[in-house]
Amino acid sequence: MTELSQIDLQSLAAGHKRTWDAFVAAASPLINAVVRRALASYRLSEDDVLDAAQDVFVRLCAKDFRLLKTYDPARAGLSTWLAVVSRSAAVDFMRRRRQPTSPIDDVPEAALAVEDRHVEKLKIPEGLLTERQTLILKCLYDEERDVAEVANLLKIDAQTVRSTHHKALLRLREHFKDEAP
Amino acid sequence: MSTQRNPPSDRELWHSLAVEPSVRPPAVSDMDFAAWLEGRLPEAAAARVEAAVASDPALRQAALELADILGMPLPAAPPRMAVRAQALVGAGTPRQAPRKSWVTALFPAFWEGFALQRGAIAGAAVVVAAVGFMLGGGLGETYVEGKYASTRAPIVAKPFGRDTINDLNDLFSDNT
Repeated sequence: MTELSQIDLQSLAAGHKRTWDAFVAAASPLINAVVRRALASYRLSEDDVLDAAQDVFVRLCAKDFRLLKTYDPARAGLSTWLAVVSRSAAVDFMRRRRQPTSPIDDVPEAALAVEDRHVEKLKIPEGLLTERQTLILKCLYDEERDVAEVANLLKIDAQTVRSTHHKALLRLREHFKDEAP
Repeated sequence: MSTQRNPPSDRELWHSLAVEPSVRPPAVSDMDFAAWLEGRLPEAAAARVEAAVASDPALRQAALELADILGMPLPAAPPRMAVRAQALVGAGTPRQAPRKSWVTALFPAFWEGFALQRGAIAGAAVVVAAVGFMLGGGLGETYVEGKYASTRAPIVAKPFGRDTINDLNDLFSDNT
């Protein structure tokens, strides 16, 4: 079977049936996985999942392959771009249908916690943390992801995640030493 | 008894702080997001995407999911998925631009669409006007007629029907 990286993009955008068929065969496992994961919390039927995946393919070839033509191979791999596009399409598909439901065990505790509205949170001043430090702390504490997952997301090693996390907290403790609870 | 409080844990400290930026970062395009997921963006561009991902829980969720999926072996998709998707593009030759005649090929794309219709109507109008003008004798003949009209014999009005009777008599007379 042809790999996604072997697809002739010019031929694909020109609408050659054979290239389209090869593209579909190569892209289906990825689109299937992305759509299923994105829609996992909605408890959909198999037909609905197939419809959502079909929606991705329709978007790709609609209006003379307009979306597909926006892909720039110099900037990212086709698989990654396709995964991003598929997830957006799946989320849009569900937005048109109904609200998501999540089993309570799958929701991070931080998201379920009832916030005491009388407690006014201290605002982190702009520039105290870098964007990366903020993202790492959010992933670790708000999303409750482990260090390996964050390292995989940022394409850095786990030790770098730990060290960035450590430096960020030092900065926060130093800044809020007299104010934090 | 000591009144000194224990310092908060890292998690407690984080949750006691408000992190949201005062200005929401701009939206991230699919292409930029994909490039960032692959670690291909330069530092400044990556920082912009990271600010957006940090401030938007949905985008963060997407990033974590996609990073996970892209790093794992994928199961095969149901065959029905590929069959339906392959049917979206028809068999036969690839779509081509409509064939142009040699006349239209001489002109650029402004011939297409409304410009073509307007051009065709204007062209037809010019042809009709030109043909009518030529049948009428053109400018030269009109000018000559105008110039010498005063030298010609004036047209004398004849009684109604008289010319017609004379013409019929001429036609049926034998002196031809």
